[in-house]
Amino acid sequence: MSGKMCSSNSVIQAQKLVDQLQLEASMERIKISLTAADLVRYCQDHRRSDPLLTGIAASSNPFKDKKTCVLL
Amino acid sequence: MACQGLQGGETVASLKRESESLRKKLEEERKKLSDIELNQVAEKIEVLGPLSIKTRRVLKGHGNKVLCMDWCKDKRRLVSSSQDGKVIVWDAFTLNKEHGVALPCTWVMACAYAPSGCAVACGGLDNKCSVFPLSLDKNENLSAKKKSVAMHTNYVSGCTFTSSDMQILTSSGDGTCALWDVESGQLLQSFHGHTADVLSLDLAPSETGNTFVSGGCDKKANIWDMRSGQNIQSFESHESDINCVKYYPSGDAFASASDDATCRFYDLRADREVAVYQKDSVIFGASTVDFSLSGRLLFAGYNDYTINVWDVLKGTRASILFGHENRVSRVRVSPDGTALCSASWDNTLRVSWAAYL
Repeated sequence: MSGKMCSSNSVIQAQKLVDQLQLEASMERIKISLTAADLVRYCQDHRRSDPLLTGIAASSNPFKDKKTCVLL
Repeated sequence: MACQGLQGGETVASLKRESESLRKKLEEERKKLSDIELNQVAEKIEVLGPLSIKTRRVLKGHGNKVLCMDWCKDKRRLVSSSQDGKVIVWDAFTLNKEHGVALPCTWVMACAYAPSGCAVACGGLDNKCSVFPLSLDKNENLSAKKKSVAMHTNYVSGCTFTSSDMQILTSSGDGTCALWDVESGQLLQSFHGHTADVLSLDLAPSETGNTFVSGGCDKKANIWDMRSGQNIQSFESHESDINCVKYYPSGDAFASASDDATCRFYDLRADREVAVYQKDSVIFGASTVDFSLSGRLLFAGYNDYTINVWDVLKGTRASILFGHENRVSRVRVSPDGTALCSASWDNTLRVSWAAYL
């Protein structure tokens, strides 16, 4: 009886794996030459607005203390 | 009875054969579309100039290893959590500590700022994820308002709010991820598929829809549909535990950091790994990754106390950041891309940025 339980459990698990793999296999994939071009394009389109890439001027750096004016 | 046992055995064997042939078919399908390498496509773009990213601020205050941190959407506040149970909210501009709470457990491995900026979530060895509303009154006892939301059967390794303060997504050492309603604590969806501890998760950028990525000790990175609970894609190319996963800003790819000393880049539409960031001299495990705003740079924190900055497209190392005196546990780029915060087992957090050369 326990043998029957074990075998039906492993059947369920094996079936789940087959179902999962069938789902993954059915996916529509796109060629890397196309998808990689899109990844590169995204970087290029946004490179000028990437402060860690371009650097920030001290005057526009939110982390730096703003210098105060002293009126003599 | 003997006959039924035999039937069960035959079914399992034939299912195993079917899953093997499906795996082979998957590999073939993926190979068919690998008509070029990412770094070949990237040959025509300019090489990165020298980067001027340096550590400019050190946040001291934790008495023990800092395990996690997260930026607030206001781009100046951040929350951090530590091995001794302390969770601190900082103002990164002034270096002031704005709030502090002590959890009754150690190893608070996960913390996250709510989108509104009005609450933080954290969890760890207590197997829970709790939400603390942040009040304007600095003297108020935050612990009193604590709300237990998630309940796992093992440690909580990661947590994030979804698009609002109303839901949180958690990853756990119990091998599952789960979506919770903050108000009621109700489990809305659970995600089963990993065969070992899940160590990290990341939500897809809002424009790309309701999915998230998770990575764990089974060396797999899985993509999940948040509504159905379905595992829609799976990647297994790392040779050891995946410690961290993070989406590329466009949502079409993600990166991972692993104990195998490599970081990898996976293209979701081609359904395969398209880059491996590694060097012979990099032999310690990578624990954390994050992208710069344009996606060109990948910051990765390692167990050798350094942060390697990788050129995502060309696959080369662009820079190394030194300064931490113990393992780097977490790196996160601020919401406007201005700064990088790194948390470490040396009890500190560091904020770095690039100045005009």
